[in-house]
Amino acid sequence: MITFSFDGKAYTAQEGDTLAAALLRNGIGLVGRSFKYHRPRGIMTAGVEEPNALVTVGEGGRAEPNTRATDVFVYDGLVARSQNRWPNLSFDVGSVLGLAAPALSAGFYYKTFFGSAKKWMFYEYFIRKAAGLGNAPTQADPDRFSHRAAFCDVLVVGAGPAGLQAALDAAEAGKRVILVEQDNILGASLIRDPQELDAAWIEATAARIRGAGGRILTRTTASGYWEHDLVTLTQRLSEPGQTPANGVAQRLWHVRAGQVILANGSIERPMAFAHNDRPGVMLSQALRSYVRRFGVVPGKRLVIATNNDDAYKTAQALKDAGAQIVAILDARPAPAGANSGHRVYNDAVPLSTKGARHCLKSVSALVDGKTMEWDADLLAVSGGFTPVVHLHMQAGGTLDWNEDAQAFIPASSRQNVTTIGGAADPQPIFKMVPVSSPNKSFIDFQNDVTLADVDLAWAEGYRSVEHLKRYTTLGMATDQGKLSNMAALGRLAEKQGVAIPEAGLTTFRPPYTPVTMGLIAGAGAKDAGAHVRRLALYDLHAAKNPIWQPLGYWFRPRAYPINGESLAQAALREAKAVRNNVGMTDVSTLAKFEVSGPDAAAFLEIICATTVSQLAVGRGRYTFMLREDGFVFDDGTVWRLDENRYLLTSSTGGADRMATHISYVRQYLCPHLRVSAVNVQEHYAGIAIAGPTAKAVLATLIGEEPPRHMSTVPAVIAGIPVIILAASYSGERAFEIYITASDAATVWAACEGQVMKVGGALYGLEAMEFLRIEKGHLVVGGEVDGRMTPHDLALDKMLNKAGGYIGASGLARPALSEAGRRQLVGLEALEGDIPEGSMLIPSEGASPQGHVSAAAFRIIEGGSVALGQLVDGFSRHGEILIASSPTRGQKARVRVVAPHFYDSAGERYRD
Amino acid sequence: MTEVTITTLPAAPLHVFEIWGNAASVAKRFKAATGFALPATGRSGGNDALRLIRFEPTVWLVEGDISALGDVLADDGALTAISGGVVHMRLSGPGWRTLLMEGGVFDAESPAFAAGCSAATIIDHVNVRLHVVSDDACDAYVPLSFSQGLRHFWKQAAGILAG
Repeated sequence: MITFSFDGKAYTAQEGDTLAAALLRNGIGLVGRSFKYHRPRGIMTAGVEEPNALVTVGEGGRAEPNTRATDVFVYDGLVARSQNRWPNLSFDVGSVLGLAAPALSAGFYYKTFFGSAKKWMFYEYFIRKAAGLGNAPTQADPDRFSHRAAFCDVLVVGAGPAGLQAALDAAEAGKRVILVEQDNILGASLIRDPQELDAAWIEATAARIRGAGGRILTRTTASGYWEHDLVTLTQRLSEPGQTPANGVAQRLWHVRAGQVILANGSIERPMAFAHNDRPGVMLSQALRSYVRRFGVVPGKRLVIATNNDDAYKTAQALKDAGAQIVAILDARPAPAGANSGHRVYNDAVPLSTKGARHCLKSVSALVDGKTMEWDADLLAVSGGFTPVVHLHMQAGGTLDWNEDAQAFIPASSRQNVTTIGGAADPQPIFKMVPVSSPNKSFIDFQNDVTLADVDLAWAEGYRSVEHLKRYTTLGMATDQGKLSNMAALGRLAEKQGVAIPEAGLTTFRPPYTPVTMGLIAGAGAKDAGAHVRRLALYDLHAAKNPIWQPLGYWFRPRAYPINGESLAQAALREAKAVRNNVGMTDVSTLAKFEVSGPDAAAFLEIICATTVSQLAVGRGRYTFMLREDGFVFDDGTVWRLDENRYLLTSSTGGADRMATHISYVRQYLCPHLRVSAVNVQEHYAGIAIAGPTAKAVLATLIGEEPPRHMSTVPAVIAGIPVIILAASYSGERAFEIYITASDAATVWAACEGQVMKVGGALYGLEAMEFLRIEKGHLVVGGEVDGRMTPHDLALDKMLNKAGGYIGASGLARPALSEAGRRQLVGLEALEGDIPEGSMLIPSEGASPQGHVSAAAFRIIEGGSVALGQLVDGFSRHGEILIASSPTRGQKARVRVVAPHFYDSAGERYRD
Repeated sequence: MTEVTITTLPAAPLHVFEIWGNAASVAKRFKAATGFALPATGRSGGNDALRLIRFEPTVWLVEGDISALGDVLADDGALTAISGGVVHMRLSGPGWRTLLMEGGVFDAESPAFAAGCSAATIIDHVNVRLHVVSDDACDAYVPLSFSQGLRHFWKQAAGILAG
């Protein structure tokens, strides 16, 4: 025996019970409350289509709301709670909303927008209070989730008789086969109706599939069908709320299949009649499942309402189990059911029910034009069968209308998918039309949508099925209309006076059943969703306890505070060290590409918008790259290391994009060039040494005269070969030292020793930002934001006049030279600090004419400066504007100036 | 139980060997210099001193002694060092194929992906080059910055497989 609890009360279950079976076994028929009217609801189905019996399972971070009681298998210690009720399930204050049903009909919340806005402010509180079903856990989920790929020749979805046979045939034909079943055991309809193929056949077939190398996944739902026959599977490795055996609760499979065979079967349809939602009204096949699979008989006196033969199997099953079959209401005319051995009423359709807390009291029906009523505690309904076509439709398939079954069945698909079994050939039924009052005749049970709501939507002009769906919320609950859609379509078609296929269909979208957010996140659910990229020198930085800053996937030191400094204090101290003496920083994350070959310069002059071929060996230059539309998308430096060998650097944030761009240009635009372009971003770690004494520091380190500005030399530091690039981002004399990453720690230690010896400092990204803003250097993602041309950034004088670079044609478009474009400017605060990201306005209330892209303190002189983009900014130097950030309540008066606040002649980095 | 062990191999020289022209001549010179043919796409070839693994139509990863390759390439290609940016890991044990399916997009379970085969793929967002060294082991060449994260990911996944 297994012990579990429901709403705090302990119960016992049998091994293999679903929560629904266990509740019924314990005589509990009332399981939940409906979303809108808080109507008492029981268990209607035995599968994933369950609309009513939604509960929260588990505790703490493991709690899973809106779990279908029919789709969770009881384990020892399971804790389940009912939802959407207060103070308790039996006495729910919210049920008073049922009295207000006329005011809460389809689209009522849209109507709250009518009238003055004040009315909405009144309604909003109550609507928000009532919205949502179940409560998301507030604690972190302690479990892990896995994503796994799989490939197969044949993927079979559904392990009923058709699916098992298809999987067996494919496996024994030598195919790689995956068979998935959402239940925890195989067999599907055979579990309910084992007359022809019993458990032994299922077991033997499964053994043969496995023996032939097939993989069988139970508790696994094919939840999405994507392009190229990619199917996502959701596998439960533990039940909702259960502690997983090895820490992993669920696995998301990405299966790429050569062929997909769908053996999904059909879902039985309910019938629309008044009070068809009470506990005690169940689908016929579901009832049969509870009796035959779980040995649970949820009632003693049974009425069956049907329009097909299948329900007679339920009558037999219940009779065999000792229940009394009070009446079978068969919508078909006589002699349907005449030889069943049961009391059959033909031309009979249900009208209404009366109920007690956990079951029914009576059922009434219209029989051959007359109203009749029976005492009964259980009503089994079978309104026909809806083939499960969701995956077929997600695969881009089409549907045919099967008149005999009054159902859509799969037709063609552009993907390699076939539907077999019951979903391809549903049972014939008798077409019936609801005769009961539409007001309490529910068709979407979870969202409390009735036939009357469909009628109202029609009356209010909603003709399209897509509009009807959204106006009434039909099919928008967690069950996604598995039970309701056909009933709604039937009613809409009836209103339109057309056949159901002409009424249209809504779209079938993944997932087929709800998927947890943790499963989508996978292993990344425990961190930021992706791995953090570690610097080669990470351990050395970490030992100094810096403030870290995420930069893309990287984490880089933002500052190295000492003696309790704040970030700003540390950054200012570090920046001053660079201005007055020397500082060193880690620049390993810069993108770096080694470009080799006789055509290397020609290749680089296609990538870069500046000239390259005129560079002498050992020289470098600043460069930038354009998109094909002529806008700047990255910048960096290019260095001629040898006759036919160059090193191209570009921004950290754009590194992956630049790698893709270079690969594209190499392989698609320039396959004819004799060139190799290799991404060496991580091969080389980089250290920058900057400041007035940087040259002397480096000279000591390399034992020779350092290269002049924008020159490069190979050298040796601490016995390690390095490449030295004399380039400055800070505005001071500066050098970048590149070393094979595995040797970087040795070189860093040597450099740090020398820098510290002369009283220098390490500096991080914050100081680097101060330095570069003061100098007016650009940053990709800041000033280079994808909307700026070389002209806008005052880079046009550097453009390769010969053209031929990517973006040259786009840049020639007249619109990019017209007045009114935003241009790079500098901004000086007249008082206060300039808020970064603020808009630039000429006066209070005026429209923005630009924005501040980066702001900083002047390092030596003090005061606030910034870089920004301003309409026609080049011609507006001297103007006074307001830098305003209304969202932060900050503003400053600023003067527009040239975007260089420090050594505009560049004298400090030249010898 | 599915077992797999993850080992980080010692750093060793690693180069990109790329040909941009006269491929047949390069192949001929290569075989003459090394005694084995340039491996086909998705395959490796070589010996203990020198091994080439082909991941792209014109690109091979080179492990070992490259002293002869400069002359082999002449003006028809380039050799570029990348060892500083790559961590060489080995996944060994019967579970390596299953492990590679975790967070993967490549069919490492295919019997055709056998010893001597190579592949460039993505595993849990990380670009990884794979080389099957035996039925029981597969080497992975992982970007340095991602290596610790991927090793952690694999160790957790391996724990799941073993559970």
